[in-house]
Formats: sequence, C-alpha cells, structure tokens
Amino acid sequence: MALLDVLQIGRSGLVAQQRALRTTGVNVANVNTPGYSRQRTDLAPEAASRGYGVRVTGVEQIVDALLEARVRAQTSAAAGSGARRDLLDAVQASFPVGSASIGGALQDFFASASALSTHPADLAARTDLLQRAEALAQRIRGTARDLATLQRETDRRAVDEAGEVAALLERVATLNRDVARATATGGDANALRDQRRQALDALAGHVAIRTVERDDGTVDVFARSGLGLVLGTEAARVEARAGTATGLDGDALHEIGVVAPDGSLIPLGGDPGGTLGAALAVRDESVPDAAARLDLLATTLRDAVNAVQTDPAGRDLDGLVGDPLFAGTGALDLTVALTDPRGIAAARSATPGDNANALALVALQTAGQGPLSGATFGDFFGALQARVGADARDAEDRASVDATLLDSAAAQRDAVSGVNLEEEFTDLIRFQRAFQASAQLVTLGDRLLESVLDMVRR
Amino acid sequence: MIARVTQSTMIRDLLGDVRRLERRMADAQAALTSGKRLRTASDDPTGAALAERLRGESRDLAALRETVSFATAVLGAQDEVLAQADGILARARELAAQQSGSFASTASRQAAAEEVAELERALLSLGNTTIGGRAIFGGLASGTAPFAQLDDPGFDPLNPYSGPTDPFVVRTADDTTLRLTTRGDQVFGAAIAALDGLRQTLEGGASPEASLDALDQAAEVMRAERASVGGRARRASERADEIRAGLTRAEVQLGAVEDADFAAVVTELTQLQTALQAALQAGNVLQESILDHFRL
Repeated sequence: MALLDVLQIGRSGLVAQQRALRTTGVNVANVNTPGYSRQRTDLAPEAASRGYGVRVTGVEQIVDALLEARVRAQTSAAAGSGARRDLLDAVQASFPVGSASIGGALQDFFASASALSTHPADLAARTDLLQRAEALAQRIRGTARDLATLQRETDRRAVDEAGEVAALLERVATLNRDVARATATGGDANALRDQRRQALDALAGHVAIRTVERDDGTVDVFARSGLGLVLGTEAARVEARAGTATGLDGDALHEIGVVAPDGSLIPLGGDPGGTLGAALAVRDESVPDAAARLDLLATTLRDAVNAVQTDPAGRDLDGLVGDPLFAGTGALDLTVALTDPRGIAAARSATPGDNANALALVALQTAGQGPLSGATFGDFFGALQARVGADARDAEDRASVDATLLDSAAAQRDAVSGVNLEEEFTDLIRFQRAFQASAQLVTLGDRLLESVLDMVRR
Repeated sequence: MIARVTQSTMIRDLLGDVRRLERRMADAQAALTSGKRLRTASDDPTGAALAERLRGESRDLAALRETVSFATAVLGAQDEVLAQADGILARARELAAQQSGSFASTASRQAAAEEVAELERALLSLGNTTIGGRAIFGGLASGTAPFAQLDDPGFDPLNPYSGPTDPFVVRTADDTTLRLTTRGDQVFGAAIAALDGLRQTLEGGASPEASLDALDQAAEVMRAERASVGGRARRASERADEIRAGLTRAEVQLGAVEDADFAAVVTELTQLQTALQAALQAGNVLQESILDHFRL
C-alpha cells in the first residue's frame, strides 16, 4: 500500500504544481492589465484517509476591500477635480489678462473720455469715445457670450456623462448576474470580478459611489446621496431631462437623475461627485457666479455713464440734453445706443468749449460705485478676474493633490493586488522545481514497485 | 511606505514623475517664449488684480500726459501773446508820453492816433489768438472769435468781448484740475479801453496825458495775468514730471508683477531637463528584470 501512496503523493504534487504554474502564468500574462488583481493557488496537505499528498483548495484573488474602496473614492475625487480644473480653465480663458481684457477696454474708454474733456468740441475725440464705448460693450458682450456657451457645453457634457453612467450601471448589473451564476455553479468568477472592478472604477470616475458586496457575489452600488444605482442584477435608469432651470442663453438646463417607477426623475442630489459632479458644479455655480458679476459690472457702467450723459444740465454739441450712451438689460446685450458723436453731452452749458460734463464722465473712472460695493469699475473687474483666477488656481492645486492621493492609493492597492514579475518568476522556479521533484517521486515509486515485482517474479 | 513594489507601481510612479516634469518644463518654456510670468489670472490671482490696477494707472497717466501736454502748449501760447501785448502797451505809452503836453502838433497827434489804431487792432487780434482753432483767451472755444474788431460796425471798446464767461479747466490728476483760460475781457478789457481812449484823444488833437494812468493800469493787469499763466505753466510742467515718474514707476511695478525672471526661468529649465533625463534613465533601469539573472 505504501508504495502505491508514493505514486499517489507524486501525482498530487504534479497536479498541484501544474495548477500553481498556471496561476503564475496567468499573473505574468496580466502584468499590464488595468484593474487585474493577482491570483494565488491555495494548497493544503491531503488527509491520510485520501492518501496523503497535496491538494488545491482554490485559486484566490488577492484583494483588500478597504483599499479598493479607497481607490474608488480617490478616483472620483481625482476625476472630479481634474474635470473641474479643465472647466475652470475654460472660464478663466474668458477673462484674459493684459490689454485684451475688459479692464483694458475700460481704461481705453476713460482715456478717451479724458481726451474729450481736453477737446470737448472736437468731433474726432467724440468719435473716438463712441468707438471705445463700442469696443468696451463688445468685449463685455463677448465675455458674457463665452460664459453662456461654456455653460451650454458643460450642460451637454453632463448629459453625455449621464449616458455613460447609465451604460456602466448596465454593465455592472450584467457582470453581477454573471458573477452570481459562476459562483453558484462553483465556476471561476475571478476574471468576471476583475471586469466588474474595472467597470466600477470607471463608474467612480463619473460619479462618487459606495459599494456593498452581497453573499451571492453581486455588488450593490449607491450614489453619494444614498440613492440605489445597482441592486443585485438590476440597474437603475439614469437619465438627463430638460429641467425647469434655464441657462444664461435662456434655454432649459438638464436635470440628471434616476427614473422612478412612476416615470418621474429622482435627482442624484447634492454634489454627485466625479466628472458629472464637476460639470454640474461649474454649470450651476462657477459660471453663473462669474456671469452675475459681469452683469453687475455692465449694468452699473450703463447706469453711471447714462446718468452723466442724460444729466438735465448736460448739453451736447447742439445744446441739447444728451440721450443714453449705453443700452441693454445686462452684459449679454450691452450695446452703444448713441450713434451721432455730436450727441455726446460733454458740456454743462450752452457755452461753446464747455467740458464740465466730460470731466464728470472721466471722474467715474475713480469713483466708487454703490452697486459694486464701493469699488471702482477697474477694481471690481480686477477682483472678478482675480476671483476667477483663484478658483482656477485652487482647482489646479486640488487636482494635483487628488492625483497624488490617487497614485498613493493605487500604489497601496498594487502593493496588495498588483503583479510583481520578480515574485512570479521566483514562483515559477519554485513550482518548476516542485514539479520536477514530484516527477522524481513518481519515478522512484515506479522503480520501487518494479523491484518488488522483480522479487515476486523470482 | 509601500511594502511591496509592483511593476505597475514603478511604471505609474515613473510616468507621473515624467508628466509632472514635462508640465513644469512646458510652463517654463511658455514663460521664456512669452516673457511673461503672468499669462493667466490663475498664475497669480492677486498679481493679476494688481497688474490690472497698474495697467489702469498707467493708461490714465498716459491720458493725463496728453492733457498736460496740451495745457502746456496753451499756457505757452498765452505767455507769448501776453508778452506781445505788453510790448503793444509799452509802445502806446511811449506814444502817449510823446504826444502829451503842449509841444505836439495836431498833425503829429493825428498821425500818432493812426499808429495807436493799428496797435488796438493788433491787440484785438492777439485777444483772438487760437491754438488748433480754439481761442486761448475765449474759453478755448472754437468758432466765432471772442473779440469784435475795431472796424466792426457798432464796435464797443468798453464791451468788445463776447466769448465764454467760464474758464476752461482740465484734469491733471484724480483730484486736481488746472485752469487754462481767463476770460478774455478780464485780460484785455482794460488795455483795449485804454488804447481806444488814447486813440480818440489823439484823433481829437488833445493831449493824451490822462491816458497814461489807464495804460499803466492795463499793463499791470496784463503782467498779473502773465504771472498767473507762468505759475500755472510751472504747475503743468511739474505735473508732467510727476506723470513721467509715475508712468515709469507703474511700468516697473507692472514688469515686476507680470514679467518673467529670465535668469531664474532658464536655470529652472536646465534643472528640469536634467531631472527629466534622469527620470527617463530610470525608465531604462526598469527594463532590467530577474529574467536577466536567471535561466529557467
């Protein structure tokens, strides 16, 4: 019996080392596969009743659930802050620094008013002032339109994000089904779990998620607000619908949410995180904030300049009270209403050469404006530009920090789940030697049996 | 500290480092090619606001420089005109002195009257002097001359001025203005009346002794105005110097805020290039593996 045991032990060793070699091979083959978690062949000594030897108890994936959750949370944060950085960079591009800015156009306008105060009856100076006013209005309008376009593009991006989220949720639900089936039938679900992990990582880039694994191997996915996105093998329907809020261009903005059984839309709520959260935050907060400040600048400028221009004491070149210089309801439609340079009310009397009203216009440049909290036009614009720049800078810093944290979290996950080729090749040698030794054992058992048989033959 | 280093960790770290270095190099190169440290507001938000204010200050100073330059030209022209007017009054006084007393004949007085009439015309013409078509003793208004001419019908020597009554004022700083004009009749009124009185006295063949005082008083008014013009011209000149200094200061400050420090950027770029080469060299080392040392 003992001699036959030697053969059995050798055989079990050959089988076990083959399995281990196969697992090592799979690890090596997937060294560059994103989201792949290394596998380990678990071996256990065979019981005496089963003839000693070794048996394979399973092929285990080396995964730390806490590290996975951390990587996923950091993926959301890094993707969100990266998207926010890119979008705020686009907002910032609407406020260039230098003479091409609204500030530059403001300075040109008041410099032209200053020239008019020196040459109040000069038609060239008057024409120049109208042209500077038009350039200023155009620059304010252009910036407001840039912001409106950016908001619309961000809205479209949010709609696209919702589509991608919906597709990923479907994929996770499908993989849940496959994993549950494979687990129930005792099959190998490791590759499916890796695919699901990849899908969840991709999903986390779009929205912040929390996952809970069930006993049957399926994973439930929840949004940051607690809203269920995947429950077992069922995925929620995420949709983008035209909402009640309107954008700067007057068209409806989209609401993103989950379709309820009654067909209504349950909003994802608050900041959903990820790139979708970044798009919504920039669309609903950053862009409208900059646009509101620009509007305030435009309306204050319009009112202040028009008040001087239409002052009952003011007189144009024909001795008449002036008409408003600027028209429009805000930054988007600010225009120059006055077309005749003679209509600029530079004087405060019918006396030729009077420049008193032109001086009042120039004085607006350094006068604190009530609606702008006492700031001058130039300082208010400077503060607006600095605010937009600080937001972009903050987003850039945040994105850099989040990328570093993601790298750190991914490195920690890799430290547990990643493939190390040196380890794998050492394992290959180890398992190869063990395989060779088991083969030797079988050969030895064979020889011993042959010796015994020779004794019987004699 | 990562206990177990894997291939993907090493590659991610290397890629991350290379990307960071490349980003910083691109930033340094942009600073070099544009010459600007401040290219977007996020480069330095506070600096961007400061640069905006300095640019505004600089643009305003440039506008004020134009105004002050115009003021200097107007006041300079007034000074020249007043000098000429002073000469006219001096000649008129000389004539009045010559024709005073009982020695001058009627014919000589009438001849003198003709010269005085020319002097009066010249003075009125000086009162109508323009610069760029704008009367420098008529509120810098353009169009109708502020003083009537001697030969105009109904010429009133006591009221020859019909120009603006308000002075022309320009802004030379945020809170400072400079008066460029004085009402023409306040400058020339007494002189015209004195010359006209002298002319009429001489035409009548009488001794113009009584005109001497009037001429002296008119010359005094003229000199006082010339002193005032000189004072204002000096203020304009001082302000021009201040503006020039202010412009230089604003440009230097603006340069400090938004211009790149070339020496620092070039040094940084060199360091970054060295670091990038080292990182890429590390990438070559990564290619080495256990396969190079074991034979399976």
